[in-house]
Amino acid sequence: MKLSIYRFDPDVDEKPYMQDYDVALQEGDNMLLDALLRVKHQDDSMSLRKSCREGICGSDAVNINGKNGLACITRIADLTEPVVVRPLPGLPVIRDLVVDMTQFYEHFNSVDPYLKNDDPLPETERLQSPEDRAKLDGLYECILCGACTTSCPSFWWNPDKFVGPAALLQAYRFIVDSRDQAQAERLENLEDPYRLYRCHNIMNCVEVCPKKLSPNAAIVAIKDLKIAGATVNNQDKPAKKIFGIKVG
Amino acid sequence: MFALLTNKYPGMRVWLSQRITAVVMAAYVVLLIIALLMLQPSDYAAWRVFAGSTVFRLATLLCFICLSVHAWVGVRDVLRDYIFNQTLRTYLQILVDLLLVAYVVWLSLILWGL
Repeated sequence: MKLSIYRFDPDVDEKPYMQDYDVALQEGDNMLLDALLRVKHQDDSMSLRKSCREGICGSDAVNINGKNGLACITRIADLTEPVVVRPLPGLPVIRDLVVDMTQFYEHFNSVDPYLKNDDPLPETERLQSPEDRAKLDGLYECILCGACTTSCPSFWWNPDKFVGPAALLQAYRFIVDSRDQAQAERLENLEDPYRLYRCHNIMNCVEVCPKKLSPNAAIVAIKDLKIAGATVNNQDKPAKKIFGIKVG
Repeated sequence: MFALLTNKYPGMRVWLSQRITAVVMAAYVVLLIIALLMLQPSDYAAWRVFAGSTVFRLATLLCFICLSVHAWVGVRDVLRDYIFNQTLRTYLQILVDLLLVAYVVWLSLILWGL
């Protein structure tokens, strides 16, 4: 199997280059990660991240033939050779396929990805109705691999300001959680012109998500909630009228 | 709803104004097509009557004002993404603002100068 892999070691190389490899696959080598490990066996200077090798940990997200995905659940049979493997775009490369995800996690932290509830702890767990629990489906499954955020042009352009699809999906996961009490605060936290509104519905996030989630749907839902929330907040105020017509 | 277009919602204001203007422009295009299909002006005199009506003039002006707001938001985003020199960006933004205002004034002159 032929591969072309992005190589860069900042201690040795002046600039990145692509290195071609030809590895012999063995029985049971079905996924791209298997092939990358054959490469690693052949050339142990090639670095990559991997852990669970079954699409749960999200550590082996790379750019495969131009599209972000998890190497461990990308079938070799579906790829055209030579398979071009690059690190996730838009993040600083530490070495070869390993990127520095600090910024990604900072954005994740910025949406306070934990339950906020000031009520005294119940004896057992905080209960939810099945309907409320169902609202978290399609949100909680995110494994934070970073495939969506690093395929988003809005993130490439404003990586320091735009929170990115992964963190916005997580933001929505807590906004709609019936056990959370900080919905208004969370929505206010995303009011800056860049953090949420830099999403232009390009949909790359939906296309690449290895868990088949839709960060875009979450982002649209947050915007809808912001509109609904503002309308509720203004209900107590006297209605504004222009020429006798109620406008706000 | 109008509260969302105030300073209190700096992000929502810009995003929502682009959506509202898009809806107005889409409605204008649909109504224009319906009006043209119904009236089917065939000669110069008929076109003059059609384009000279107050409804057409006001609707067209409204549509272009919306187009200007819509374009202002879009171009502002593009300038912020690609022009990193603050001074150059400010000058370009002023240029765009003046152009958009000039287009609306020009359109008003065309519409009411018939």
